[in-house]
Formats: sequence, structure tokens, C-alpha cells
Amino acid sequence: MKNSFRSHRTVSLTVNGNDHSALVASNRTLADFLRENLELTGTNLGCEQGVCGACTVLLDGRSVRSCLTLAAQAEGQSVTTIEGLSKQGEPLHPVQEAFSRFHALQCGYCTPGFIIAVLELLDEPVPITRDLVRERLSGNLCRCTGYQNIISAVMSLLENET
Amino acid sequence: MVEKFVGAGLSRFEDHRLVTGEAKFMADIPLPDCLEAAFIRSHFAAAEIKSIDTSEALKIEGVQAIFTASDLTNIEPALTRDFYNLTPEFVERHSVELRAYREPLLALDRVRRVGEPVALVIATDRSIAEDAAELVDIEYQELPAVADILSALDPDAPLVNPEVPGNVDATFEVSVGTPIRNMPSHLRQLFRTFRIGRSVGCPIENRGVMAKWDPEDSRLTVWSSTQIPHLLRSYIAESLRSETEAIRVIVPDMGGSFGGGVYPEEVLIPFAARELGKPVRWLEDRTESLVNARHSRDLSIDATLLYDDAGTLHALDLDIRQDTGAYNPFGLTLPFNIASHARGPYSIENFGARGVCVLTNKTRNTPVRGAGRPEATFVIDRLIDMAARSLSIDPAEIRKRNLIPSDAMPSDQGMLYRDGAPLIYDSGDYPDQLRKALDLAGYEDFRERQVEFRALGRAVGIGISCHVEATGIGPHEDARMTVNESGKVLVYTGSCPHGQSHETTLAQIAADELSVSPEDVVVYSRDTDLVPLGVGTFGSRSAVTAGSVVQQASVSLRERLLSLASEFLECAESDLVLQGGKVSPKDAPHLGLSFGELAKKASSQSETPLSRPSDLALEVEERFSPSAVTFGSGTHIAIVEVDTDTGLVTVLEYFVVADCGTIINPLVVDGQQHGGIVHGLGNMLLEESDYDSFAQPMTTTFLDYLLPVALDIPPMTVLHSPHPTPLNPLGVKGAGEGATASAPAAIANAIVDAVSPTPIDLTEMPISPCRLIELLRPSI
Repeated sequence: MKNSFRSHRTVSLTVNGNDHSALVASNRTLADFLRENLELTGTNLGCEQGVCGACTVLLDGRSVRSCLTLAAQAEGQSVTTIEGLSKQGEPLHPVQEAFSRFHALQCGYCTPGFIIAVLELLDEPVPITRDLVRERLSGNLCRCTGYQNIISAVMSLLENET
Repeated sequence: MVEKFVGAGLSRFEDHRLVTGEAKFMADIPLPDCLEAAFIRSHFAAAEIKSIDTSEALKIEGVQAIFTASDLTNIEPALTRDFYNLTPEFVERHSVELRAYREPLLALDRVRRVGEPVALVIATDRSIAEDAAELVDIEYQELPAVADILSALDPDAPLVNPEVPGNVDATFEVSVGTPIRNMPSHLRQLFRTFRIGRSVGCPIENRGVMAKWDPEDSRLTVWSSTQIPHLLRSYIAESLRSETEAIRVIVPDMGGSFGGGVYPEEVLIPFAARELGKPVRWLEDRTESLVNARHSRDLSIDATLLYDDAGTLHALDLDIRQDTGAYNPFGLTLPFNIASHARGPYSIENFGARGVCVLTNKTRNTPVRGAGRPEATFVIDRLIDMAARSLSIDPAEIRKRNLIPSDAMPSDQGMLYRDGAPLIYDSGDYPDQLRKALDLAGYEDFRERQVEFRALGRAVGIGISCHVEATGIGPHEDARMTVNESGKVLVYTGSCPHGQSHETTLAQIAADELSVSPEDVVVYSRDTDLVPLGVGTFGSRSAVTAGSVVQQASVSLRERLLSLASEFLECAESDLVLQGGKVSPKDAPHLGLSFGELAKKASSQSETPLSRPSDLALEVEERFSPSAVTFGSGTHIAIVEVDTDTGLVTVLEYFVVADCGTIINPLVVDGQQHGGIVHGLGNMLLEESDYDSFAQPMTTTFLDYLLPVALDIPPMTVLHSPHPTPLNPLGVKGAGEGATASAPAAIANAIVDAVSPTPIDLTEMPISPCRLIELLRPSI
């Protein structure tokens, strides 16, 4: 790029099942890499300070703030973004479907981050209670819904399992 | 029986693109060769600008331009005051004094607040623009600043704006019934000064503006995350001295808003795009947002309540002082909203209010969700609880004695609303709403449980708040509707959403009138080229104004469809029926014409035998202008626990009975209630945009400015007790802000109840754990 004082490196990683290799600035965040290099704009930036959780993605199955993670840190790892849940034309993923059915989104800006956080939560090998859901989703901010319908959407997925 | 869609809890059409990541928010819109902008903002609350040197910054590779105020010779910010032209009668009756208002686009020789834009750097990417901004050398001479209402009103205070003597920018006075000084002296009197902290709207998406200049058409296309695309178009046109038609405003998917207005950035980015002949985009960052946008509340209110030994309320008198910040684009909107809602659903015959907008060296105050209603409700519901305690009457009982009875509705409040119409509570049953809320919350049972909690050493309390909410303000909203050749019904309206679900709810309304499925109705509302006129989404007005005009236009479109089919089928309109996207003879459904076929025939008018083809084009336009606002209402009951060692407040349960009139989509309305409650909870317990005594902002990240998270919220139970309004054809009332109005007061009253019998004088919002401990243990 234009700024010669910035170092670059090649990063190889898997995103939503597809392998990518790209030369990126060493200081490029994973969020910017996903949004700009791969044009996966479903990952939204809300604060770029690691607080709001809107940019949450999975890195080898664990949730990370993609605004505080460098693309280079994802080297050799597998990233899941909101675009990885259901391909165009396919039915929605059960978490996406539950969010819509329970009206767990209004403006929808925080929604991809929430859905990714829920994916991680549902993978937990522990009994998932309402309070655990509240706790685990407290790293994600939503200004529209008041959270209740988000919690209900998640609880409905647990009921379906049993 | 035809299925009715108004009233159905349909999942939203908006959702698919939002849950899959396909939505296009401002930062997602691809625009080739787009330049990026960064603003250089004042670090001083008050200072003279001695010099600006951009020479080093301009040497950075990739920097395209740096604009300062001296470059803005051919543009000037438009004059704004309010979205509404106050009527001469209103100005006279309520003794309104307002100054003409112009906020500089870029500071010329003086900055008046931290964050005020001083220069605009345009570069090939944002990091270069930000790096270059660091190299611009600005010499300031710091001046004394005023950081709060009291210091600003001091006769020796420095003036925020030399043209505004005494730092008082706008005033009004309301007087209903007997002035308080002439009231009988035997009445009991409560006097308190309430402090309402400054809060910030905080949508999760920050603001953004993008603009593209098209030299061939001499037109600017502006993308902005705004609630008011048409008003913004006029503002940009006037500021850039351009024709309105030469500006097109497009609103992308928007990540919330919660507070409106126009900002200098929305003129400067289009200006830069025009000057440079290239697309330019600015994306606000979170710190910029917390410092510069959607600040609200921030008031000091002196309140006097007169009541008698039976707990009957007789008079309320308010002195409302708003910390307006350095500029005052909304005039007296907020303090006048407080005066308009101060008596809530209570019968208080004598009322006085005086409002002043006080300039300080802080960010401008703008309406945010609730816009005066939470503040007003906090004041009256705290006072009523204090009065109840002074008489040893239960807070529920004193409310029963003072709510306006249903047979006194509609209730004229003896003053004018901001729109110039008499302020009249048009419909509702407030005592019934309170009864329902007490039942829903199990109020009587709670009083028994409370004794058990106390025996266990737990401070658990219950609080009630009752509010009214003026919704659906004019002046108007427009809609254009048509049918295309595929048979889809197309709706174009100027009310532009940012989470409110217009694509679904407006489709439900049209579907009912046209006897089609809502899936066959497509709603367009984000583009000023598609809809010639529009007002916007704010003040809980969209369901009322856009909903009503879509209903009206649907009726007109239905008439057109019938009329056209009647000609083609050679059949009287009265013998035709609309169903399933077809118009058919009642006795011969197989001969019917689909909407698509009618659209095709209408578009090839030469084939028709009609003498007046324009009357039969399948396109209608309507305008809805409400005669007055319609009043929603709600009764909220909060149950909270206070940790008396730490001051931590936990809201345990929350109950609402609401009157939003006719409900179009209960999923959406309940969502508005939940969101509104939690916004109010945040305002009461967590959120404050803090400034130090030099007017330096102290809360500049989400680590300092705390929003509620999932762990902070109680289970919320919402019950509807609708009383459709007679003021619009659907009977709808706005539902977007009411819940925010009562949540702070209900929680505050529950806190006081929880810690009783220790008396605390809770007159401030928010209340932090530290402050609560100070109130509980004044000796510490």
C-alpha cells in the first residue's frame, strides 16, 4: 500500500470454510481484513475499542473481537463470520431463524455479533441456564431490543434440543 | 372472513438481510475510488484560534485536501431553529423568545466546545487522513469555559456566544389556572430541585456520511445515517446554495439512532465531494460519537407541588433549566416537552412552568428517545411518592386518587402543544391502566413478600410510574402507491426507519386494505428521489403519520383498481370484489383480472376507451396531516433490590401496561417497549456523559459511558390495554418512546421504597452506587 513505513506479511487462514492467503499490513485488524480484503461486510464495527461486541467472530471456535485481533494473529486458523452460517438461497441457520421469530433484532447492527456469540455458547459442554445466557451475552451491546427477546430466542433453541 | 394483518405478530421482512450479514450499512456500501475523511476537532472547551498551519500535513502521500473555515467562502450553514414553525399564537401565549440559530460548519476564529470541528482532512484512506490530521498545527489561546448551568447563569460568567447575553438562548412560560403564589396557603407544599444528568443516544452504529458529485447532472448524491432525509436534503441545499433537486439523500440500513437533527458533517462531506469531484466518505468513530452526537437531558428543575391532607394534588410549578451546550439547534423543544408532559396522567388544575435554554461550553443538546418525557415523569412521579410518604398513604393509593378519570376524557390541559394545537389528552383510561398494572405486578402480594424480604435483611422495594406521551406530531407525511406489472403493491413514503420495522408494519396496513398478502407489498422509504416530500422518523410519529397515509393511499389505490377493472370487465364496481391480488366479478371469479394485468392495461392507456386516463393511472398520492398529537400512556411497576453495603441496584422484575392505541404488529410494539424500558433503566442507573469543571468530557469510550447489558435487565412483562385514538383512521398511537418515559421514575421510586424506612431524598438521575451510599449514609 501507500505507506512505506508499514510492514506487511502474508497471512493464510480459512474463512467460512474457504482458504485465503493474502499480503496484509501487519497492523491490519481481522475486522478490516474480513470487511475490506474479503468483502465480508456482515461483521459490523461498533466501537473499535473491544467493548460493544458487534464485530465478534469465531477463531477456531472461540469468540474474539475482530476489531482487537490482527489479521496476522489468525494465521493458520479458521474464522467463522455471519456469512458462514447460511449460504445465499439456503434456509437460515436455526440461530438466525430464532432471532427473526422472536424479534430479537430491530436495527440489526449488533445482530451478527450476537449470533456468533450464541453459536459459541451453544457449543458449551455445560448446562445452559437463562442466567448463563445473560452472562455470556453481556459482552455484546444492543441498544434496541432490551435483550429480552434475544434471551428468549436462545432459550427456545435449548428447548428444541431436549 | 378475510385475514386481517393489522394486529398480527408477523416476523419482519427486514430480518433476513440483517441476520445473514447481507444488510448494507454505511460502511458496507461499495463506492469505487472513494476518499476518506477525518475531522480535526477542538481539544479545548473554549479557545480562540490564533493560526492553523496545514503545510506539513499536506506533504503526506495520499492527502488530497485539507479544508478549514477560511476555505468555506461560498457556503454557509443554513438557518435552523426547529423543525416546526411555531405559530404566532403559540409564541404569544407561551411568551416564547428564541434566537435565530446557525452553528458554524467549521470553527473560524473561536471554538466553543471540545469536539467542535476545526478542519477536515481528505485522503486516500482513513489511516492516512488521521495520521495527517496529527500534523496540522493549530495554535489556540484558551479561554475560560462554563461547564454547568449554575456557572453559566452567574452574572460574571464568560459568554459562550457573545451574541447571547447571560448565556440564555431561549425562554418560554406556561401558566394554566391559578399561579402558585396565589394558591391557598393551607395546602401542603413540597419543593425540590431535580438534577437530570446528560445522557447520550448511543446507537451501536456510529454516524456516517458519504457523498458523490456527478458533474454531468450537477447533482450530489449523499448517503447519511439520518432520521430525516428530506429535511437534511433541504439543509444541505440551502447551506451549499444549491437547488433542492440537485441533492439526493439516500439512507442506508441504519444501526439505530435514538436522536435526530442535522450535523455540520452532513454538509461538509458533500461540500468536499463537490470541491474535489470525487466521492468522499466519513465514518464517525465511537469516541467522536460519544463526544459529539446525540447528547440529551442535562437539566436542573426546581419543582413545587401543592397538595392537601387527603393527598389530592392541586398545583405544580416548574423552573426548567436546560444545559443546552454551545449551540441550540432544537430551541425550546426539550424544556417545552417537559412542560407538556409534566402533569402526566394526573389531574392537576393549576400549573406553571418557565423554561430556559442555558448555553455552556459542552456538546449541543438534542432530543433523544423520550425527549423530555422521562425527565418530566421523573419529577412528577418522585414528587407524588414524596407526598404519599408525607401523608403515610401508599403510592398506589395516592395515584388512584389523582389520575384523570375516564369520564373526564378527552382532557384539555389548558395550554398549547409545540405544533400549535391545544394540548388535549385525546383518549385513554388511566385509572383502569393502573388497576391492571397493580394486578399484573401482584402489588398487594408484593407488600406481604416485602415484609419477608426485610426479615431476611434484604432491601427489596416496588415503584410505580404513570406517564403520558404525545406521539405522531405533524406537520405531515406523504405516500405514493402503485401496482407494478408483477402485481406487487409498491409503497413510497418519506418516513425513514432505523430499526422501527416500516417494511413490515406498513405492508400489513396496505395488505388489509387491498386484500393481498403483506409479502406482496414492497415499502420504499430511504431515498429522496423516490418520494418527493417527507418528514422523518422521530417523536414516535411513524405508525401514526406514515401508517395513516399508507392506509389512506391504500384506500385510494383500491378505488383505482376497482374503477379500472370496472371499465375493462364492463361490470359495475359494486359487483366487483378484491381478493388475493385480483379484482373479479362477485359471481364470476374466474373472469377476474390480476393486479399485474390491471397494471399492464393501465400503462398502455391508448388501448383503453377511457376519456380521462390520468384518473385511472394505477398510481395514487396522499398526504396525512394530523390535526393534533395523540397521547399514548403507560403504567410501569419496577421491583428492585438494593445492596445497602455497596449501593448496587438490581432490577428484579418489571411490569408494563401500555396504551399504544391500535397495535399493528405486537412483536414490534413489545420490542419497542422492552428497548424503551432498558434505555430508561440505563438512564437511571448507569449512563451519564460527564464533564469536568473545565468542560472537558470524561466519558469517551463504552468503558466510561456504561450501557445496560443482558445481565442488567429484569424479566419484563408487557400487557396492552389499547384505547384507539379518534385522531387517525387506524386508531394508532406512537409506541417508540413511552417506555423510556416511565422507567427511570419507576426504578427510582422502587429504590426509595426498598431502603425505607431509611428516608432518602432521591432527586437525581442517574443514581450511581456511590451516590446512593452517600444518600443512605450522609455522615460518611
